[in-house]
Amino acid sequence: MPPTPNPIILVLGTAIFILLLFLPPLLELKKPKDAGPRMISDYSFSASFPIVNLEEKHGFDQALAKKIVDAISVLPNLEV
Amino acid sequence: MIAEILEAVFILLTVLMIAYLGRHYIFTLTVLKNSRKREKFVTKEKLALAYQPSVTILIPARDEERVIGRILQRITELTYPKDKMQIIVIDDASADNTGKIAEEYSKLHNYIQIIHRSKEEGGKGKAAALNAGVMHANGEIIFCFDADYYPQKDILEKLTKEFVDPKVGAVQGRVIVLNEPQNMVTRLVALERIGGYRVDQKARDNLGLITQFGGTVGGFRHSLIECLGGWNESILAEDTDLTFRVYLAGYRISYVYDAECYEEAVENWHAYWKQRYRWAKGHMQCAFKHLFKVLKSNNLTLKEKIDGLLLLNVYFMPILVLLSYIVGVPLLFAYHPQWVSICWAFIPISLYSFVGNFAPFFEVGIGAYLDGRTRAQWLIPLLIFTFLYNIAICTKALTDLIMSKIIGKNGNNWAKTLHSGNGNIYITN
Repeated sequence: MPPTPNPIILVLGTAIFILLLFLPPLLELKKPKDAGPRMISDYSFSASFPIVNLEEKHGFDQALAKKIVDAISVLPNLEV
Repeated sequence: MIAEILEAVFILLTVLMIAYLGRHYIFTLTVLKNSRKREKFVTKEKLALAYQPSVTILIPARDEERVIGRILQRITELTYPKDKMQIIVIDDASADNTGKIAEEYSKLHNYIQIIHRSKEEGGKGKAAALNAGVMHANGEIIFCFDADYYPQKDILEKLTKEFVDPKVGAVQGRVIVLNEPQNMVTRLVALERIGGYRVDQKARDNLGLITQFGGTVGGFRHSLIECLGGWNESILAEDTDLTFRVYLAGYRISYVYDAECYEEAVENWHAYWKQRYRWAKGHMQCAFKHLFKVLKSNNLTLKEKIDGLLLLNVYFMPILVLLSYIVGVPLLFAYHPQWVSICWAFIPISLYSFVGNFAPFFEVGIGAYLDGRTRAQWLIPLLIFTFLYNIAICTKALTDLIMSKIIGKNGNNWAKTLHSGNGNIYITN
């Protein structure tokens, strides 16, 4: 049977444990160094990845270009 | 005899704890593992960008004069084609200038329309307001944003591309706390959000489990909403209810973690109680409503059913933690095996608490790490207090729910979260 620990040591150990546990949050609240909150990035998808203008590049008429885009857009997601 | 019964109850509670313990660790490890993979912008993403359906954004607003202007201004700055957008603000019997402010934007932008609900019609909760709005919606995809939110400019592109997959019935974006630096409450709420959105939701999406629609920063196919009959006005957590109805109908919800939107978190413990009480009670209502449907559904895989059960019952867990202490501690002291000295009982109880109950805190820690917010991790020990607070909240919610069932009263009082607009000072762009 394990020996019964000294109650004073038990209380002291518990107190030290609690102090160590809550020391980091106390330091952070006293002198915040966290950079947060996370900044929302505002880049535009369409600006980064422009869709080719078929009318300009190949002389296609707009109606045909629209049909091609519409056809592509309804394809199912084939990636597993 | 009593000892045997208590032991059996304690073992059952421990098994449930271990189930949630495993769930949280699996989620944390999944996100950590996937974070090391470079996410490629593949051809399907480029093709999906060509898909730009007409969208309707519903903004239910009640007494939101301090924030409604901010979101409407932001909506006008979104990069989505304006000729494919319809914005509907549902002024839900506001007593302040919410309606007037919204009307000013409506006059300047023809794609913004306002629905004013009278005192008799309005004030019946968010679900009722959304149902009123959806009747006027003509977009193929319907999005919901709360009035205190502030989205990315290209959030609609990121969310709508998911609907290229016909199995996707709904989408959910990420919520980030805008007024995080304000006080301790907002900082702790922000930590909870990091754990929930950066890790928990992401892991569930990666693993093909039940991704939850959070009530805002999300969208549905218009046809699906009509098929499901709109939002359920008798449940406080209408978002959780809709989540399970989407999955039970054979669709899934896609989580887009880089579709980000700011929110204003509650700023004091009283507001925290009211908000979480509503979430807990509503979630429990969903648990009672959907539990057997999830078990019996032919549209859910086995892992979706298991995760669905754990998700439905998550707000009962703080109560079970309380029960486990009520049962376990007397059990240990009154009926402990001979080899355990009473003074050493502290060690197994502490180990159980740290490894079991604090597993969700690992999600928070890893979420903060992945966001590059290692200093925010220093606040994690304070989440012990929010956890204890949530035990009281969930216990009250369950008690009230049971009492309302017994006395036959609905008891669905929608306690609205008041927004101060203090988040405005943190917007730098």
